[in-house]
Amino acid sequence: MTQLQVVDIAHRFGRRGVLRGVNLRVGTGECAVLYGANGSGKSTLLSLLATRLRIQQGQCFLGDLDIQKHAEMARQRIILIGHHSHLYGHLTPLENLIFFRDIYRLDTTQDLLVQAITTVGLAPFIQQPIRWFSAGMKKRLSLARILVSHPDVLLLDEPYSALDHAGVVWINTVIDTFQKQGGLVVMASHDPERVAALDHTPWRLDAGILQPWVESNRC
Amino acid sequence: MGGVQPVLKAIYRLAWKDVMADFRHRSTFSSMLFFSVAVLLVFQAAFEPDPREAQRLVPGLLWTTVLFTTIMGLGRVFQSEEENGAFEGLMLAPLPRGAIFFGKWLGNLALSLMVMVMLVPLTLILFNVTLWSRVPMLLFLLFLGTMGLTALGVLLAAMTQTARSRETLLALLLLPLVSPLLIAGVQAMAVVITSGDLSGPWLNLLLIFDAIYLALAPWGFGWLVEE
Repeated sequence: MTQLQVVDIAHRFGRRGVLRGVNLRVGTGECAVLYGANGSGKSTLLSLLATRLRIQQGQCFLGDLDIQKHAEMARQRIILIGHHSHLYGHLTPLENLIFFRDIYRLDTTQDLLVQAITTVGLAPFIQQPIRWFSAGMKKRLSLARILVSHPDVLLLDEPYSALDHAGVVWINTVIDTFQKQGGLVVMASHDPERVAALDHTPWRLDAGILQPWVESNRC
Repeated sequence: MGGVQPVLKAIYRLAWKDVMADFRHRSTFSSMLFFSVAVLLVFQAAFEPDPREAQRLVPGLLWTTVLFTTIMGLGRVFQSEEENGAFEGLMLAPLPRGAIFFGKWLGNLALSLMVMVMLVPLTLILFNVTLWSRVPMLLFLLFLGTMGLTALGVLLAAMTQTARSRETLLALLLLPLVSPLLIAGVQAMAVVITSGDLSGPWLNLLLIFDAIYLALAPWGFGWLVEE
């Protein structure tokens, strides 16, 4: 059983402490949702879990794998969908997914990439460079990466931003399916109403301290 | 998916992405080409050398043009990564940092070499130098020189990408560091033009600088992009 375990992580940007002694355990099929005000450290924690930032203090394990020591192996099992789409405007949706497949060293066939694009509702735009796509369309395409790569861990930073109602329903279905298939989700959100449809464990990050979320401190 | 082949495929895909960006926007390649043609035309109009003098001038003129043309391309090497946080996306990929460096380097090298292929015959025509049999050797020397030049250049471009006046800073850092390679390139090309001999200490020096830059730059890149 895969488990993501964060042990006593602290992080500073210069003199400012962003995370202080964060501990978190997320098991197979579970979804941990991080709530908190702007600047409370949610995105920093996700960046540390995605190995984008070097862990300054504490440890993080994916199963037995120390993600700091084996960052490249960990990255193969973790996908972060953040504020930015990480897409290239001059490439078409298919070319963007081909690029993603190759830099993530996946075996996925082109037919499956096309199928993923169809699933996220972008089939009519498959030949168009994505530069002029709306934010919601770009979000859908970046989420298509989940369907293509089947990661163990899904890190989502404000996944509902820029999505319309149908998009929200769709992404919740994707996350729900991902959990039922044994995937593990850590999500940062400001939107408890939209998260409510998911089977999840809420947490609250306040001034860098992570605590179980209780009704009285709802953000 | 392990092994060397997927990493090579990823390097190719990174380079392909940059070349495609350039062809679709018609930006770097066309700027480099027009700039290099303009430089050569100015040199030709200023010197109007006789064929004998032209043979003596060609190595310096070619390398000067190549240097400034390459700097122009290097200034834009990370431009496509600024959009939509794409550079962040690259850093999250399960790839060795060195592979990302080689992908960026290969894309830039490909664009630079496309310009060189047009530059050499154009120089010979403009300066009325009849050394057509030596064109492959001249191109080979430019290829070797550009390999080292762009390797160091991509590293420095990564270093200066967040600076406000990055293109100026890039040139300021690159020019002194790349001088030994340029001197070796000019001298090796002078030997080829005068004797048709593609060997000797200058060529060896060029190869040594290539080896040093290509060994150190990926390592430096990996160190630079870690946060």
